[in-house]
Amino acid sequence: MKSAYVIKRILYSIFVFAVVITLNFFIPRIGVDDPAERYYPPQGNMSQIEYEIIKQVTRQQYGFHVSTWQQYLNYLKGLSRGDLGTSFRPGSPAVIDLILERLPWTLVLSVSTMLIGLTIGVLFGVVAAVKRGRWQDTMLLNASTVMVALPSFFVALILSFYLGFELGVFPAYTDSTMVSSFTWTWESIARVAENAALPVMSMVVGSIISYAQGTRNAVIAVTNEDFVLTAKAKGLKQGTIRYKHILRNSMLPIVTSLGMSISGLIGGQVVIEQVFNWNGMGTLFLAANNSNDYPLMMGIMLLLSGFTIFAILVTDLVYVLLDPRVTVGDKR
Amino acid sequence: MEPILKLRNLKVVFPTNFGLIRAVESVDLDIGDRECVALVGESGCGKSVTSQSVMRLIESPPAVTRVDAIEFAGRDIKDYGPKQMQEIRGKEMSMIFQDAMTSLNPVMTVGNQIDEMYRRHQGDSKKAARQKTVRALELIGLPEPTARANSFPHELSGGMRQRVLLAMAFACMPKLIIADEPTTALDVTIQAQVLKTLRGMQRGCGTSLLLVTHDLSVVASIADTVYVMYSGKIVEKAPVKDLFTAPQHPYTVGLMAAVPRLTDEKRKFTQIPGAVPHPARKPSGCYFHPRCDYATAECKKEMPPLVKSGADREVRCFHPLTAGGRQ
Amino acid sequence: MKRIKGMSLFVGRLWSHKQGKIGLIMVSVLILVAVFAPFIAPFNPYDVSERTTKGLAPSAKHWLGTTINTGQDIFSMLVYGTRVSLVVGVTSGVCIAIVGSILGVMAGYIGGFVDTLLMRIVDIMLVIPTLPLVIVLTNVLGRDFWIIILIFVALGWTGLARTIRSLVLVLKNSNYVKAAELAGASRWHIMIRHILPGTSHLVIMSTALSSAGIMVAEAGLSFLGLGDPTAISWGKMLADAQSGGALLFGAWWWILAPGLGIFLAVFSFMRLGIVMEEMANPRMKQTSGVYKLFRSLDSSYVEDVLNSMDDYQQIGVGRPLEKGGATHGTNLEA
Repeated sequence: MKSAYVIKRILYSIFVFAVVITLNFFIPRIGVDDPAERYYPPQGNMSQIEYEIIKQVTRQQYGFHVSTWQQYLNYLKGLSRGDLGTSFRPGSPAVIDLILERLPWTLVLSVSTMLIGLTIGVLFGVVAAVKRGRWQDTMLLNASTVMVALPSFFVALILSFYLGFELGVFPAYTDSTMVSSFTWTWESIARVAENAALPVMSMVVGSIISYAQGTRNAVIAVTNEDFVLTAKAKGLKQGTIRYKHILRNSMLPIVTSLGMSISGLIGGQVVIEQVFNWNGMGTLFLAANNSNDYPLMMGIMLLLSGFTIFAILVTDLVYVLLDPRVTVGDKR
Repeated sequence: MEPILKLRNLKVVFPTNFGLIRAVESVDLDIGDRECVALVGESGCGKSVTSQSVMRLIESPPAVTRVDAIEFAGRDIKDYGPKQMQEIRGKEMSMIFQDAMTSLNPVMTVGNQIDEMYRRHQGDSKKAARQKTVRALELIGLPEPTARANSFPHELSGGMRQRVLLAMAFACMPKLIIADEPTTALDVTIQAQVLKTLRGMQRGCGTSLLLVTHDLSVVASIADTVYVMYSGKIVEKAPVKDLFTAPQHPYTVGLMAAVPRLTDEKRKFTQIPGAVPHPARKPSGCYFHPRCDYATAECKKEMPPLVKSGADREVRCFHPLTAGGRQ
Repeated sequence: MKRIKGMSLFVGRLWSHKQGKIGLIMVSVLILVAVFAPFIAPFNPYDVSERTTKGLAPSAKHWLGTTINTGQDIFSMLVYGTRVSLVVGVTSGVCIAIVGSILGVMAGYIGGFVDTLLMRIVDIMLVIPTLPLVIVLTNVLGRDFWIIILIFVALGWTGLARTIRSLVLVLKNSNYVKAAELAGASRWHIMIRHILPGTSHLVIMSTALSSAGIMVAEAGLSFLGLGDPTAISWGKMLADAQSGGALLFGAWWWILAPGLGIFLAVFSFMRLGIVMEEMANPRMKQTSGVYKLFRSLDSSYVEDVLNSMDDYQQIGVGRPLEKGGATHGTNLEA
């Protein structure tokens, strides 16, 4: 029963990914007859004949000379070899190489935000739930009312202004030599940590509070369940009730919301990377956007979507491990 | 018969947005050794709160609880700390709840949930506890107890789940079991089976039973003594036979008239007019007077006391019904 | 007429709620500021010719100071920026409510293929990171004001549609819908007259919440320099502050003003949405309520209530002692 559910989830994720791939192929082709026009828009100082020649070259270079259907098949063929296309940048570097170069730097930010946010957030949430109605809980409630209305990039600017420029505790902008001079030494790692401090802080405040609020509500909802009263009536110790009965059940909604939050986290990071000029996929994406580098943009989109699909799949599977009730009948 | 439980003057109030809810008002309760006492009343009359107060399960805050004594097995537990209560709960008194689906932890196997009792109160190892669990499930009449122990609650039928709760409650052979509407959520046929098991287990283990219910047919089949509760107060106490043959409080009479009988076709199925008063807006005088056919001016002004009205009987009424008609 | 009356009743209920009142007042102020911006703003916010007023700190003349590079009056910019935020936020919010509720009702009531298709779309939108997708779409479709709104609506309806769909699934099985079906009402009639009204509280609530969400998104987009390039918006002000050296030269007012503008606008819409959510669904309320009530209890009042319950006190006499068995009334003697 359970394995049927797991297989179904995996197949569904593959289906979603296939649709996303297709969308990725077609989005740059919206609104133009000839994709070459999109990839190489006409310049003012160019004669008609010159532009036709350039278009012809572009078509050949990016494979637009065949039918759209054939292009789609070629795109899929490329993907199966891990080829996301070639960038418009000078020297036509492969998109996948550009992305892989930036990927670790993006992961530094997102993984640490996720880990710190989740740990502190869940901890806070449990405390607020246990101390329900007291100052810890009220504080969390007030903080979350304020934080949901504060855009993370504004928090980032304030942090950069105050901790970066005014107090000089952390670098306000990412050190441009951090990436090029990186070696696997403690010194170098410390430098990355120092530079990552403000970007991570700007994102982590919001994520701590949203995880804490979610945890609090989940824990309180579970605490009000009948089986907790049963556990009490059994004479179980406070700790046993809390960890074996309440927390275990509270994890279910937390895991679900974790999967849902990933897409938003990735989107938000684009802006934060831009604020601190962090050398990650977000800034790469914005640079690609500014130079209309479609293969690069769509490559990043595909990777981000694929990552989200994978993360949601993983949380779904964790959910199955935690909740014996899940069967083929969908939980959503 | 030395009582196993003597509850004296229990009062519980809850704060709400509508004001204080007076859930339980000065309730006394006696349960004898091996006796089955039923606490009967409509929903919202405070019977569940009373039963949970006996185990000190009502949380304060938000509730405010006052009690003169909770004498259990010869000692007063009203001032026991949380640790001391944990030692008593499950081991000396345990509870069976109404809805077995929600009263069992959905992500733990039922076996593990019963194991917890033995491991907590008898210090058993995992293996020893499981052996006892399987034996308990077998005793309670669950087929294939070894396999069932590894099931999750949602994999069992309603009747089986209720039996699991029974096995759990009887696990440590407690002196007192409180059953809060143990059969209400079940089909009638299953209800009878579970009740029979409950009665059998109670007799076999020599346990006292406090049965909380709104169902008079359940009361008639297993109780020895009955307390009738209305709007937070005990209105009548009587041995079961006396109560059914000669109810004294008009409310009790009304409750009985509301039970349809197959044997007596001519008697009409009647119901008590009106509704239970909102616990934050109770009427003056006797709480039952707005619904009572026999109410007089006195009933509107004053709350009648609970007075002795026969052998082992008490009634809270200025004009109780007697065998020979009204006084 | 009925509609108008219902609407004023609804506003009245919001008004009687403390938090709802705050939200209503704040939203009204925002709308007034947006409408009367030219009368409120003391300077021309587009005026970059004032060379003498560069980088002034807040003062009586320039309430929120001026920009460093161009000497624009920040208060005036802030006032004008309200327009972009409100128009983009509210227009998208309303459109999302319309599109989301129609598609949600269709998915829930018609079911079958329509339902499957719509829910698959929802699932797919869920996995594509929104902000990058918005950026790609503005690149492809252009950055015109209305196109940006269109993109927000196209991407924003999914959450509401999903919620409405689950509500409709409940309503569909309700007796009054069944009765209408048995009476021979057409599908469309049932959908429009019976099901859609049942979802109205959700739709109104989500309008407020998605407006707030879109305001944040719009600010982010203009902060990245990808909003409508001709308009003054709070996000763009923040971006200009960063690139114009506000951080470097300590011009805190230049950062704080637009940031707080975004915050207040988003906050007030969110308050309204949350209050509506609580009104429609009281269980959503913070459960800590009873604990606060408990602490606010007047102990002497509680004592009075508890004493009034006593049989002994009320009657004025002790209860008669029983012979043998349990002796009731021992408490009196003790």
